[in-house]
Amino acid sequence: MTAKKSFAKDFEELEHITQWFDSQDQLDLDLGLKQFERGLELASQLKKKLSEVENKVEEIKQKFSSAT
Amino acid sequence: MTPSLSVSQYLELVNVSLGQIPADFVIEGEISDYKVSQGKWVSFDLKDEEHQALLKCFMTTWQLKTQIEDGMRVHVKGAPKIYERFGTFKLNVTEVEPVGEGALKRAYELLKKKLEREGLFDVSRKRPLPRFPERIGLITSRDAAAYGDFLRILNNRWSGVQVVFCHVHVQGREAVDEIVHALDQLNGLADRPDVMVLTRGGGGLEDLHAFNDEQVARAIYASTIPVVCAVGHERDESLADFVADVRASTPSNAAERVVPSREEVRYEIDALSAHLTSCVSDAIRERLSVIDQATSRVRFLLERQKDRLRRLSETLQSGSALWLSRLSDRLARHALVLKQLDPRRVLSRGYSIVRFAGRVLSDVSTLEVGSEIQVQFATGSADAQVRRLNGRGQQKLV
Repeated sequence: MTAKKSFAKDFEELEHITQWFDSQDQLDLDLGLKQFERGLELASQLKKKLSEVENKVEEIKQKFSSAT
Repeated sequence: MTPSLSVSQYLELVNVSLGQIPADFVIEGEISDYKVSQGKWVSFDLKDEEHQALLKCFMTTWQLKTQIEDGMRVHVKGAPKIYERFGTFKLNVTEVEPVGEGALKRAYELLKKKLEREGLFDVSRKRPLPRFPERIGLITSRDAAAYGDFLRILNNRWSGVQVVFCHVHVQGREAVDEIVHALDQLNGLADRPDVMVLTRGGGGLEDLHAFNDEQVARAIYASTIPVVCAVGHERDESLADFVADVRASTPSNAAERVVPSREEVRYEIDALSAHLTSCVSDAIRERLSVIDQATSRVRFLLERQKDRLRRLSETLQSGSALWLSRLSDRLARHALVLKQLDPRRVLSRGYSIVRFAGRVLSDVSTLEVGSEIQVQFATGSADAQVRRLNGRGQQKLV
């Protein structure tokens, strides 16, 4: 679950980095390279997660009886 | 001992007894499961609303003088009969008359309008689903095909999801209470689902009653978690569908709506990384081209200055030669003029310069008899004394 939690977060961060690049008129190359490295790192983590985790089903019991 | 009868004899006896029932009784009920086969045989069920009572009806298309449909409230006349071959009890209908609108359908339409007026179906209140849900609440019957369909498609498409499943009856007496309670319970969980799915397979209006129930519709409306509703097949509609944030056509479609496709997301991640790469390499290429441009600009400026210098020095060389010769010509001419004006040249031709008191004398009036004057010749000079002025003065000695 925590792995998945970070999936949405990581994906969002990757999108933000991409948007950041698109919003730069004049790219600061040093900062750009740092962001770029982070972006690629996120992409590879996300792809790894896609093939790793499985779905789980947990059943919760109704806490009332249908007789009431 | 009572003689034994064959089945057919007995059924014949029953049918005779049934024949005693007057055929002019009017039976009121609601039509469901209306079917026409081979274009001539009409069958439908006639039902009571209050009691669970069902009368199977049979007639021919030519006896049917009016259009009927499921849910329509009707008055029916006919004769009851046991069909020996199948042992089924049916009413051989001779007359059908609609009574207003079918009550159940009518009730559905009325409720639909009421909820619509109250804003339960408003598009503006539909909430977007999270793109990557972590927990999905699933409300359906574990015995329904919908349960398997939903999970199968979910697993095909996506992974890492926690499904919180709540088993309910999706039809029958308990269905409404159980569904309402399941919606409340999932909303009240400490670890709340990001989205809930309420689903079941298709069915007749009777089967779907729980999904057309006011309580269920209001519970969906009250849910603070977005609800995806999927009932049966594309053509089936229910009030639950209209209230839900997202209406899916089938249980499988519900799975497609709540989770993204693994392949699509993978493709999207690749596209994002490719975009990042191209942004960075574009920026680097841009820098390189700026450097290139600056270099070539400097080279160009240098070349231009060199050219200018070369041209200037050429001009200077050719110009100075001309200028020098002109200058020497002018000099020679001036020298000539100066030479012409030299007073010594006049003296050499026999003229003399007379000075009086150091000044060159051209007017005799300043002189007096006896004034001392100096006379300069081309060669040498002589001092003299004025003896006569304009013929007057001392006597000529001679």
